[in-house]
Amino acid sequence: MIDARNLRLLLGTGDAAVEVLRGVSLSVAAGETVALLGPSGSGKSSLMAVLSGLERATSGEIHVAGLDLGALDEDALAVARRGRIGVVLQAFHLLPTMTALENVAVPLELAGARDPWGRAEAELAAVGLSHRLTHYPAQLSGGEQQRVAVARALAPEPALLFADEPTGNLDATTGAAVADLLFARAGQAGATLFLITHDEALARRCTRVVRLADGQVASDTRS
Amino acid sequence: MRLALRLALRDLRRGGRGLVLLALCLFLGTAALAGIGSLSASMLAALEANGRTLLGGDLELRLSQRRVTPEETDAMRRLGRVSETVTMRSMATAASGEPVLVAVKAVDGAWPLLGRYAQESGAVARRPGPGQAAVARALADRLSLRVGDRLRVGASELRVSGIVAEEPDQLGEGFSLGPRVLVATDTLDRAGLIQPGSLYEARYRLLLRTPAEARATGDRWRRRFADAGWSATTAGNAAGGLRRGIGQLGQFLLLVGLAALAVSGVGVGSGVAGYLAGKTRSIAVLKVLGARSGLVAGIFLAQLALVALVGAGAGLALGAAVPWIVSAVAGDALPVQPRLALYPAPLLLAAALAGIAGLMFALPALARARAVPAAALLRDALAPGRRSLRVAGAVAALAAALAGLAVATATDQALAAGFVGATAVLLGALWLLGVGVRAGVARLPRSRRPLVRLAVANLHRPGAQTDRLVVALGLGFSLFAGLAAVNTSLASAMESTAPAKAPRFFAVDLQPEDAAAFGRAIRAASPGARIESTPSLRGSVVALNGRRIETMRLPPGAWVARGDRTITWSATVPPRNQVVAGRWWPADYRGAPLVSIEDHAAAVLGLKVGDRITVSVLGVDVEARIAALRRIDWSGLGLNFAIVFSPGLIQEAPHALLAGVYSGPRADGAVARAVAAAVPGVTLIRVGDVIGRLGEVLGQVAFAVRVAAGATVAAGIAVLVGAVAASGRARRADAVVLRLLGATRAQLLGAQAIEYALLAALLCVIAAAVGTAAAWYAVVQLFELPFRPDWLAVAGTLAAAAAATVAVGVVGNLPVLRVRPAAALRSE
Repeated sequence: MIDARNLRLLLGTGDAAVEVLRGVSLSVAAGETVALLGPSGSGKSSLMAVLSGLERATSGEIHVAGLDLGALDEDALAVARRGRIGVVLQAFHLLPTMTALENVAVPLELAGARDPWGRAEAELAAVGLSHRLTHYPAQLSGGEQQRVAVARALAPEPALLFADEPTGNLDATTGAAVADLLFARAGQAGATLFLITHDEALARRCTRVVRLADGQVASDTRS
Repeated sequence: MRLALRLALRDLRRGGRGLVLLALCLFLGTAALAGIGSLSASMLAALEANGRTLLGGDLELRLSQRRVTPEETDAMRRLGRVSETVTMRSMATAASGEPVLVAVKAVDGAWPLLGRYAQESGAVARRPGPGQAAVARALADRLSLRVGDRLRVGASELRVSGIVAEEPDQLGEGFSLGPRVLVATDTLDRAGLIQPGSLYEARYRLLLRTPAEARATGDRWRRRFADAGWSATTAGNAAGGLRRGIGQLGQFLLLVGLAALAVSGVGVGSGVAGYLAGKTRSIAVLKVLGARSGLVAGIFLAQLALVALVGAGAGLALGAAVPWIVSAVAGDALPVQPRLALYPAPLLLAAALAGIAGLMFALPALARARAVPAAALLRDALAPGRRSLRVAGAVAALAAALAGLAVATATDQALAAGFVGATAVLLGALWLLGVGVRAGVARLPRSRRPLVRLAVANLHRPGAQTDRLVVALGLGFSLFAGLAAVNTSLASAMESTAPAKAPRFFAVDLQPEDAAAFGRAIRAASPGARIESTPSLRGSVVALNGRRIETMRLPPGAWVARGDRTITWSATVPPRNQVVAGRWWPADYRGAPLVSIEDHAAAVLGLKVGDRITVSVLGVDVEARIAALRRIDWSGLGLNFAIVFSPGLIQEAPHALLAGVYSGPRADGAVARAVAAAVPGVTLIRVGDVIGRLGEVLGQVAFAVRVAAGATVAAGIAVLVGAVAASGRARRADAVVLRLLGATRAQLLGAQAIEYALLAALLCVIAAAVGTAAAWYAVVQLFELPFRPDWLAVAGTLAAAAAATVAVGVVGNLPVLRVRPAAALRSE
């Protein structure tokens, strides 16, 4: 599903330039659940950004779901994500001007899917939010917003789901519920799950744990 | 595209509030352009629709200082129905009051051929009969006249038979200095108001048997009675002067409106940039979810277009309603009542100009939004700083289209091109100044007082809109400062320069045999008064070097060769004149006619010493050789003539004298009464009244310009309000931290007042420099007058503008002061 070789990422220019990723190589098979751990500043989010096509690596090779991401421009990367890659972020990032239902329907509409509204409604029902369809993000609790984000990421049935500290902004109980949901829905959809977390307990639920330190893979263990 | 529209509408439903500034700015710019265009179109349409009534017939044939001959009368009657009117100036005196300059109009029984003559209720006759006069309401009020009272006009005693309420052809006869006195032509003949050399005009209005041939009939008439001094006007060009005036003022105001649109454009740019900056995360989310850049651009272009449609649509609606509004509010002050209708052409033009300007100013922000990367979600990644050549090219093309459309649709394209060019240069200069000010403020030494430091930092911090505000408010402030400087300079030129050297009165229709009595009367009323009198008669230039004027294309400024002029003769060089080419004739010269022309007029007509000029005087062509060119000092408003003949043949023509009376300033009443008693046929025109009337006209023009400039300032204020709103988030964060650290509301308010006072001071300095430079150019280079603005008035104007800036800035930021730190921190 993911085949990355010798990825480097340089951010900033001149004296302010920082090498965030320093030769990361990683292969992930379809259906795996991978936890990415590491201290702050180790490059976890940057690696996820590069793997999900949000960021272009400075050098190295990367193939995701059979696509050579290095050869694609910003627009082509956007199109490549449609229906293939789902992303859930710590800060939810829902569109504030759209209702929960509309937020979930957007990726389906962008991908030109049939019946985006029916599928979005079903997805929200699956995360237990069928009573919140017409609510705006500002009218939802943090846990509810993150469940909408999970529904939005999974609605197009992606083969690969990235989640960047999806429970980081939530209390323990809510966080656990969202994590359960994430694993359950990813499992039902048969999606490969790539999870960034500081939470060792959450990491242990994955079939594989990759540790990053100073922009490099420090360890890669399978359970 | 349908998806873009769907997403755009969905987002607008809750997130469109940020586009209020865009809508407001487009509303202001469009309303200014559409309003000005609609008003002038409606007034021109009124003139067009009422052309025949204003003219008083299908064709007007006009004579100066003579009336129709029996042969001409017969010829006229064969063309259709004819009505004769004679207009002249005279003095009117009531039993009690002082003599008043009036515009006498004698009408025959057939008048008016078109339209309706009406009097106020209480008139004793349907129209003035023999020995009667109907007077204008203004004259009745001034002389406390009532129907039945006696009124002396010139040397004749008349009885007031009614007050004129409606005179259908008055507007078509052009500018008059005094109120109307309407009499019958019989009265004119019997009362002896017309003396040899009297200045009067006779008009013959015709209702033709074949109205469609009015122009051809006029041309035939002038050919048939060539050299008889006829001029012809058709309904199509009735009230030509007024029509040109409205057209030119409308055109000028439209250009000022274009400046308002430019400022609005800056607001559009700010509003769109602010709105889209707030959407950065949403754009990044859309890209994460698979949206392409084109779709993102499509979504926001659709939103901007929808909001622009609302703003510009409301502006167009208000603009289209301006003729109704102006007619209801200031109907009486207008020279012509607007014809109330919808005028699509100015509305379309305003819509097109606003659309192009809006797109031009929104494009850079739109391009930045399009380039927001998906990674912006993870960190505040900025769009690539590299400026796109494609965007720059598109903006340049839109700017060229805007300027091209403005110039192409203008009636005076050279003026429009000059104005558009000057505005572009001014905006560019202001923008550079703004950027310079922002950079300069950043390099100022840091104040030791934190609130002052904060105020200064707000002028140059990232996201500060100082440069945009300098452009947006600077243009409006400069316009106002410039107008104040021009107005006060013109007023000073009229009030201080002219009266010092100018005569108190002009006397017209003074018969040579009455000159001695006239002089005695003046000197008795104002001992020491000086009288400068000169023979005067009317003539029109008909040929230059043997070539007839009607076969030539006259250049602009060739007023000497257009229509009737007052001409004179003199043995010596007239006062205030200086020979600049050729030689003046000897004082005792009596040979073939020689003539001297004013140097500017000669230059415009391409005449030089030795050339020949033919002047028709009372129907007789007099050809003369140009002996000398003169430069005239016009500033004293004395008696000056562009054409001066040598004495001789021309003295044979019947003529009157024209006199300038230099009497004491407090003797006006005594002089007027003495002249009315001694030589009642003489008409006295008080120079102060003429200046006052000119001042009134200038005042009305200045008011119109100020209203149009007001739209520019309103757009500037909208930009300021937008800038205040855009910086609200950062200011709230500052306020919360400062409150945490112990700052009081008064201190925060003080910091804001300092910030906006600094901005206002900067704007005032810029506006004073730019405005006075532009005013100097207008006064010295265009009007050729000394530049003497009332600096106090200019400073007052700028102070008011500065106060408005500070007030808007501080009031706009009051919500920031009300933020409770705890509540703000909780919501972070």
